[in-house]
Amino acid sequence: MIKVLRALFVGVAAIGLLATSPAAQAQDKTIKIGALFPMSGPGSYFGAQDKQGVELALEQLNKAGVNGYKFVVQYEDSSCGPLPATQAAKRLLEQFKPDVIIGEECSDATLAVMPVIEQAKVPLLNAGSSSIKVTEPGNPWTFRIMPNEVMQGVNLADNAYKRINARTAVLLFENTNAGIGNAQVFKENFTKQGGKVLAEIGFGRDVNDFTAIATRVAGLGQVDVIPTYTLEGQGLKITQALAQAGVTKGGGGNAIQIGTIWLPFGFEQKAGKAALGYIRIVQFDPTETRDLVRDFNAAFKAKYSADPTHLNAHAYDQIMLIADVVKRGGKDAQSIRDGLAATKNWPGVTGSVEFDKTNQNTKMDTVHYMETKPDMSWTSLKWN
Amino acid sequence: MTATIVFQQAINGVVLGSLYVLVALGLTLIYGVLVQINFAHADFVTLGAFAAYFFMHLVAASYILSIGVAFLVGAALGWLINASIFTPLRHKGNELLPLIATIGVSVMMQNLMLAWFGPIPYAFETQYSGQVIRFAGIFVSWQNVIIIAVSSLTIALLYAFMKFTFLGKALRAVSQDRETAGLMGINPNRLIMLTFVIASALAGMGGAMLAPVLVLTPFAGTSVIVKAFAIVIIGGFGNVEGTILAGLIVGLIESFTTQFLDPGLIDIVVFALLLLMLAIRPTGLVSERREENV
Repeated sequence: MIKVLRALFVGVAAIGLLATSPAAQAQDKTIKIGALFPMSGPGSYFGAQDKQGVELALEQLNKAGVNGYKFVVQYEDSSCGPLPATQAAKRLLEQFKPDVIIGEECSDATLAVMPVIEQAKVPLLNAGSSSIKVTEPGNPWTFRIMPNEVMQGVNLADNAYKRINARTAVLLFENTNAGIGNAQVFKENFTKQGGKVLAEIGFGRDVNDFTAIATRVAGLGQVDVIPTYTLEGQGLKITQALAQAGVTKGGGGNAIQIGTIWLPFGFEQKAGKAALGYIRIVQFDPTETRDLVRDFNAAFKAKYSADPTHLNAHAYDQIMLIADVVKRGGKDAQSIRDGLAATKNWPGVTGSVEFDKTNQNTKMDTVHYMETKPDMSWTSLKWN
Repeated sequence: MTATIVFQQAINGVVLGSLYVLVALGLTLIYGVLVQINFAHADFVTLGAFAAYFFMHLVAASYILSIGVAFLVGAALGWLINASIFTPLRHKGNELLPLIATIGVSVMMQNLMLAWFGPIPYAFETQYSGQVIRFAGIFVSWQNVIIIAVSSLTIALLYAFMKFTFLGKALRAVSQDRETAGLMGINPNRLIMLTFVIASALAGMGGAMLAPVLVLTPFAGTSVIVKAFAIVIIGGFGNVEGTILAGLIVGLIESFTTQFLDPGLIDIVVFALLLLMLAIRPTGLVSERREENV
């Protein structure tokens, strides 16, 4: 009996030793990434496309790993809203215990989760929220690779005045931090240059019919540009209503809709002829000739049989940037935070990344302009 | 401010109001007969919208035909869910059970539709969406003309059904006193089923009409249901005439608030009216005793 017990003990000990051997440890080394994406509600198209980008990056990275690390992602539905996002962040932190978190897309949601994630001392890498409040005055644990509303808004106002020769504007925006913030930045910079804002029209996310708003815009006289800040669904209806009211080029009018990074590729095809002449900033230009972009386009198409959108691209960049930090020695929350802060001129598919002291990416090559052509395809304007 | 813009906003308001009425009528019918709030009504609207979308795109059928299909899909779904879920729960005698079940059905349907149709917004363009009639500075899309025409016809038919047919009169009898109606030879369970089927058919049809106007996602119906509840309360819970009047008023309020105030204030104005009605006229715009509703 003693012999049997001894043999059993030796066997268990051997298994234990094997489990703690370097080879086994290498297999167990993982970087845990929490993903706060909107999977339900009006912003759920963000989550669906973000997930595609993440999955492609994981597939590529986990073939060989990085510095012996594999990457695992836990998705939580943050619903583009402060309350569900906060609950999702708490679930991630308490149950999954991530080394780093990516997301959210909507500024209100990101702003809500920032204090919770900061308290847990986990880095948050954001790619889709434009509100200046995300990085001003600065949060040591929050990093943003997307150009903020000021970077985009100043650039857009400048181009509207100088390149489009716009002198009058009507602002259409959803009543959220990002919507109001984007509109205000445009207004400040457009009026500073001599332009005039004829009306500022904000609306809730529950507004369905934009005919009344388009009627109001039509009654304002000569409008040159209509900066529009809203999610894809409402954006479609606004574009169609403005065309029906004969305000924009798509409806035979003269006004041009313009916008910052809100809408995914494919918007033009859904909006149809109404989108003619729409000029907007996108975060990713698939016509770029860099090898990195070509390879990403090809890999994405091979996996999903579709061309990538900017949402696919910026989610891909988030994971790839984390992998780069791990390659540079990142292994836990603190070292990944420090590695992100030390990032210099990192090349992503959306553009390059280098953070300032507020952890905002300073590179303007992530701002790409596109214009909708008569056949509903689009052309890259190469304004930056 | 020109008269043209005021007239244009009035047209916009009537179009929007007609859509709200179609959705709200189903709610008010169910409440009138069952004294039950159906929280899943929004999802019947959404499913009707998707039924019309897929029928039109997969079969390459006309939009008008797809409205009919959405009507039938709504009716079938209403029958199925009432027979399989609400009726058995109602027979248990606890009025709370079917009410809670409507919430469960709503969550289940939303998530099923999310799984089937995905979260990306659909662009429901009909052959009438891009065709705009312009005269004297006024614009109306053919889509909106269809909305007004079909809504008016449906409302008129429903009104005639309730007032002049035997089944309509029987429904009103059940709404007044279910037990006495039963003693008079009316089968209340069959009429409750009929109410559910009509209300769900209207919701499905409303979805087909709303889909080209609103943003078509699995959550589309929820964006109008809160307004529909407000309309039902303003009009008088269970009151068909009141619901029609309130729907049109809310549509007009939305248009004129957008024009003269700010679209961000729409909900404040609509729900201030709701609170005002509850305070000074809790029976609704068209005052009746509840038992005479429907």
